[in-house]
Amino acid sequence: MKQLVAKYGTALSGLALFVVFLLFARNFASPANLLTVLKQASFLAIFACGFTFALLTSELDLSFASIASLAAVMVGWLLHSDTSWLIAVAAGLAVGTIGGLLNGLLVTAIKVPSLIATLGTASIATGTAFMVTGGVAFVGRWDASFLALARGKVLGIPFLIIIMFAIVAISWFVTRLTPLGVHMQATGEAEGAAHRAGIATKRMKLLGLTLSGAAAGAAAVLLVANLSSAAPQMAGDFLLNAIAAVLLGMTMFDPGRPNIAGSFVGALILAILANGLVLFGAPYYLQDIMLGVIVIGSVGVSASVLKKAAFSV
Amino acid sequence: MNQILSVTGAFKKYGAVTALRGANLSVNAGEVHAICGDNGAGKSTLIKLIAGVETPDAGTIEVRGTPVSFGDPQDALAAGIATIHQDLGLAPAMAIYQNIYLGSELSVRLAGIRVLQKRAMMRGAREILAKMNSVMTDMTKPVEALSGGQRQAVAIARALRWNAEIIIMDEPTAALGVRETKEVVRLINELRNRGATVLLISHNMADVIAVADRATILKGGRAVTSLSLDGVSADALAKMIMDGADDIEEA
Repeated sequence: MKQLVAKYGTALSGLALFVVFLLFARNFASPANLLTVLKQASFLAIFACGFTFALLTSELDLSFASIASLAAVMVGWLLHSDTSWLIAVAAGLAVGTIGGLLNGLLVTAIKVPSLIATLGTASIATGTAFMVTGGVAFVGRWDASFLALARGKVLGIPFLIIIMFAIVAISWFVTRLTPLGVHMQATGEAEGAAHRAGIATKRMKLLGLTLSGAAAGAAAVLLVANLSSAAPQMAGDFLLNAIAAVLLGMTMFDPGRPNIAGSFVGALILAILANGLVLFGAPYYLQDIMLGVIVIGSVGVSASVLKKAAFSV
Repeated sequence: MNQILSVTGAFKKYGAVTALRGANLSVNAGEVHAICGDNGAGKSTLIKLIAGVETPDAGTIEVRGTPVSFGDPQDALAAGIATIHQDLGLAPAMAIYQNIYLGSELSVRLAGIRVLQKRAMMRGAREILAKMNSVMTDMTKPVEALSGGQRQAVAIARALRWNAEIIIMDEPTAALGVRETKEVVRLINELRNRGATVLLISHNMADVIAVADRATILKGGRAVTSLSLDGVSADALAKMIMDGADDIEEA
């Protein structure tokens, strides 16, 4: 019973929250609003998947939001200089991936702690984004095929949501069912032991941080396509939100450990909460306060769950 | 008895400190061989050379009569030598079966992608542990939830899965209580019954006497004697370690 609560307690609380909003928050249950919630959750979930990979190898990535903003303005700039949208998309993904790779190299080759390395690259990315745009946003006319990446629909389901599900499913598969996933996890939990067992721990950390950047690149492309604008700090709000989703996720399914299923449900819960609070007419600042409470609370909960797990099994 | 491992004239310097000055070691196949000596005698340095953690400045290591040169622990492992360090090298929060298969997971290729065979690993882990007469039912239990003796069993099971013939155990009973120590002694006896060769480093003379067939005593970076432990008491062994070479002839 205790184990069930530890594993599914947070997810069930999220479900309860969802039901409360369905019943009592005006307009929450409308199809248009639910779609908005799911879209918001999609961006969060993609960022969160990336952050989960980095955290799984015990590295922090505080740069993904800034790297995503840089990737976004790169996409905007290329599209506005009449480059093919395919190339613009590829460039957006490349900016994210290269940014992540750079983080990984700083951490593994030069041994800068990831907390510091990614704070630094975040600032560099932000500065570069302002340089590219001259401080203004790219708005105006966009290629229809490009916009369809986020807004196009298959059987009534937006591409954005389909892409998000694909990224979550692949990430879940890799972390749970492949040797690579086990090696990343072992690297994060016992680097010395993993290394002695022949696991290329540095390569795992490099991969974790690179995937975090790649996910940020993908999210950036979709953000631009969804909003039809690209601005130098457009992804900034996702930093703490996506981290909160991952930390909240660590209180679920595989308590105490970064896990994709948890990150996904965490992203859903945060998107539901943000939307529902607005519909309830809660003051704007409440969201920030809630976010802080969730970040600190999740870590507190998963730390204590972890301790109990060690002695109660 | 045929010799499976030998070290001849090993020298190792760390800066100004000479840890080994011509140490010799000869280990027979299938025996439990203790390496004894006071702190600073060179025990851990000698073990590091055999485990491939360090390379000797001079001297030769032979496995089954063939000279070997280990660049890293993986080389030693390929030669059939596995080391169980004092910290056991386990990932505490990971499952028993994951630890036993760590770094060499069983997988099957599906459409070019390697997919874990969790059931096969759990079954395999249970079988290896059963061979050691170590009964653990839930292979998904994290290692941190196990007793000290059980953890040792998991570490040994991993070494066996690597097909190691020579298993180096560094202070396996150092942090354990009486019951746990008994379990480790039992595990070492199981290893010998299965034909494995065990190199045991221990400060605990009672454990050494209880389980080892022979011992090599180091002092000042040299092996002062190798002796059979038949009929030797823990006190006598401790005295030899403290006195060094003085009693060799009598021993």
